[in-house]
Amino acid sequence: MSEAILAASGLGFVYPDGTRALSEIDLEVAAGERLAIIGQNGSGKSTLVRHLNGLLRATEGSVAVGGAPVGRRHVADLARIVGICFQNPDRQVFAGTVRSEVEFGPRNLRLRGPELEQATTHALAAVGLDGRTAENPYDLGFSERKLLTIASVLAMSTPVVVLDEPTTGQDAGGVRTIERIVARLAEDGRTVIGISHDMRFVAETFERVVIMREGRIVLDGRPAEVFAEASWPVLASTNLEAPYAARAGAALGLGSTPTEPALLAALAAGADTA
Amino acid sequence: MSALVATWSGSWRGFRPYLIVLTPLVASIMLINTFLYPGAERVLFVVGPLSATEEGLTAASQAALRVIAFAFSVGLFALTTRTGELIEDLEQRGLGRRATFIISAAVGTVPRMADRAREIVDSQRARGLDTQGGPLARLRGLVPLAGPLVLSALTDVEQRTMALEARAFAAPGRRTVLRFHPDVPGERVLRWGMAALSFLLVLLALTGHLAWLP
Amino acid sequence: MAALTPMSLELREISYRYAGSTSAAVTGLSLSIERGRVVGVAGPNGAGKSTLCLVAVGLAPLTIGGELDGQVLIDGRAAGEAAQHELAVTAGILFQEPETQLSGSAPTVWEEVAFGPRNLGLSLDEVVDRTWSAIEALAIEGIVERDPARLSGGQAQLVALAAVLALRPDYLVLDEPTSQLDPEGTRLVADAVGRAARQTGAGVLIVEHKADLLARLCDEIVVLGGGRVAMAGPAGKVLADPTLEALGVMPPARTRLAAAAAAAGLELPAERLPPR
Repeated sequence: MSEAILAASGLGFVYPDGTRALSEIDLEVAAGERLAIIGQNGSGKSTLVRHLNGLLRATEGSVAVGGAPVGRRHVADLARIVGICFQNPDRQVFAGTVRSEVEFGPRNLRLRGPELEQATTHALAAVGLDGRTAENPYDLGFSERKLLTIASVLAMSTPVVVLDEPTTGQDAGGVRTIERIVARLAEDGRTVIGISHDMRFVAETFERVVIMREGRIVLDGRPAEVFAEASWPVLASTNLEAPYAARAGAALGLGSTPTEPALLAALAAGADTA
Repeated sequence: MSALVATWSGSWRGFRPYLIVLTPLVASIMLINTFLYPGAERVLFVVGPLSATEEGLTAASQAALRVIAFAFSVGLFALTTRTGELIEDLEQRGLGRRATFIISAAVGTVPRMADRAREIVDSQRARGLDTQGGPLARLRGLVPLAGPLVLSALTDVEQRTMALEARAFAAPGRRTVLRFHPDVPGERVLRWGMAALSFLLVLLALTGHLAWLP
Repeated sequence: MAALTPMSLELREISYRYAGSTSAAVTGLSLSIERGRVVGVAGPNGAGKSTLCLVAVGLAPLTIGGELDGQVLIDGRAAGEAAQHELAVTAGILFQEPETQLSGSAPTVWEEVAFGPRNLGLSLDEVVDRTWSAIEALAIEGIVERDPARLSGGQAQLVALAAVLALRPDYLVLDEPTSQLDPEGTRLVADAVGRAARQTGAGVLIVEHKADLLARLCDEIVVLGGGRVAMAGPAGKVLADPTLEALGVMPPARTRLAAAAAAAGLELPAERLPPR
C-alpha cells in the first residue's frame, strides 16, 4: 500500500481581493501515481498545484506534502519534494547557456561537483538537449525552450514532478518526447502530475484523471471511467469532450475505450468473437 | 483652494493618500528647520541640546507651505480630471496619435510588468530559489528575475509593434474622433482668467510687491 | 479583352532571412490563398510557419526588417509597393498571444475594436458601422463595455479577431490563434473564424498544430518542413496521409486509428465513426 505523498483535505483558497479559487478540495496522491488535472482555464488547476509547493497557502483546510503538513515550510524546502514546471518558458529561462539554466535548480538544492554534473547531464539527455549544452536558450526554438524548462525541473530529482501544460504548442516530436519523459519518471517511481488540455495525451499518459470546475473537483477516476459515456454529461458541463478514441468506441458499441490502443484491443476482441 | 474644494465637496477622502505622504515630510521639514537652522540668533525655546529659533520657524513654515500647496494642487488636478476625457480633448485639439497612445497605454504597463514579475519569481522559487530567508536571500532572488523580465518586455515590444502596424496605426492623417467635448463658455472664461491671475501673481512676486506675504 | 486580376494572395518562390540571422527561415516557398478558401499550414516547430505568416501580410520585411526574395502578390499587385497601413487593410493577421495584440490603450472592448478603423481616419459613421459589424460577426455584443485587460484568453482572442475584422481585410492570416486557449476558447475562436471566412468571403491562411481544427476549417493544407513545402493538397487527403507524423504533424485521431487498424488487419467501419 503506497502512502499518500500529497494530500489536500478540505482545501479552500480565497484571494486577498475576495475571489474564491478553490473550495473543499479533497485529494490524495499516492507515491508513483500519474495524475492528470483537466478543466477550463479558471477552474483552479494552476491554483491547486501552487499549494503543493507553498507558493500559495490554504485559506481553508490543509495540505500535506511528503507526509507532513505544509504549515509554514518555505517554498525552497517544499521544492525539494515537489518540482513544478510552469507553462511559459519565457517567464523562467534566464541563464546564458542551456547547461547553466538546468544547473540552477540542483544548485539551489546544494548539489555540487560530480553529483551536479550527473543530474544535469541526465536531465538534458532525457529531453534530447544533451548536444546543445553551450547554446544560449534564446537561440533554441520555443518548444525546445519548453523542453529545457522541463529538464531544469527533472535535474532536481524531486519525488513529485508537476508539468503545467507540457504539450501546448509542441509539434508531434515534442509531444512524443513528453510522453516518453512521463513514462520514464513513472518507471523511476516518481509521482507525476500533469495539467493539460490535450485529452488524448491525458488518456494515454496518465492513470488517473481529476476534472476541475469552478474551483472544485467534479470527477476523479481512471481514464476508462472519466471518459466513459456515462461521464460525458459531467465533461459537457464544463465544456470538455472525451478523446476521440472514447467517442469512437462508444459509437461502435465497444464500451469504454479511452485510448487508441484500448479501442484497437476492443476491436480485436470483437473480431475474435465474431 | 484645494482645502476649499475638499470641504465643499464634503469629503477629504480623495486627499488622504496625499495627506499620508505629506505628514512625515512636513513634520521633518518643520523639525529640522526649526531646530537646526544655521546662523539663527533669536531663540524661542530650548529642548535639551537643541534650540528652536524664530528664523528657523519662519523658514520651516515657508518651506512646508510650499510643499503643501504643491501637493494639494497636484491632488486637485488628479481628482478633478477624468484622464480619458482629457486625452480625448487633447486629441481633438491636435495631439498626435502616438502621444495619445503612449499616455493611454502607459498606465497598463506597470500592472502588466508586476504580474509578469510575479510569474517569473514563482518559477524561480519553484526551483528552490529561497526568497523567504534573510535580506541577502531576497537580493539574490533578484538576479534570475531581471533577465526574463527584461527579455519578455523586449519581445513584448516587438509583438506589440507588429500588432499596431497590422491595425494601420501608421496610417497618415488624423484619427477619427469618437466623442466631442464642447468648450463651455463659462469654463473658457475660468481657464483664461486663472491663467491671467497666475501670470499677474508671478509678475508681482518678481517685482517685489508681494514681500509682505510670509 | 481585359485580363482578370486573380483574386488571391500569392507567394512565389519566397525566401526570407530574419535580420541578424545567417540562414534563411524559408526557401523557395510558393503558396496561394484564394478569396473564400481556407488554407491550413502545419509542420514541426521551426519549419517556417510563423515566417510564412509575417511575409504574407508584409510585416516581413516592412516592419521587422530582414531580407526577402521572391514575390508577394495581393490580387495581382506586388505587396512591396504598398505601405504597411495599406497592407493592413488588405491582409489582417492574428497572433497566438492575446495579450500583446490588444492595444492596451482602449478602455472598453468597443473602443478596442474601433482602434483600426479610427486609425484610417474614416468618417465616424463608417467607424461605428464597421465596429458593430465586426462585433456582431463574432457574437461578442455581451462584452462591449468590458475592460479588454480583464478578459479571459478566449474572449481576448475574439476581441483581437474582431479588431482585425473591423478593417475588412480581403485576406486573413492566423498564426496558431488557439494555441494559448483552453478547449472552450479554442471552440469559440475556431467557430468564429469559420463564420468570418464564410460571411466575408475573405481568403484565410491558418497555422495550427491541432489537426482536428484543420480538418474542420480547411479546404487545403500545406505541410512545411525545414523552410520548404513538404506536402500540399486537399485537406482530407493530406490529413489522411500516413507519413504525416513523420513530417512532424500529429495526425487527427481518426487517421491514426485507421492506419493502426489496417496494420493490425482489423475492420474499422468508417461510416459509424464520429467525424472528429
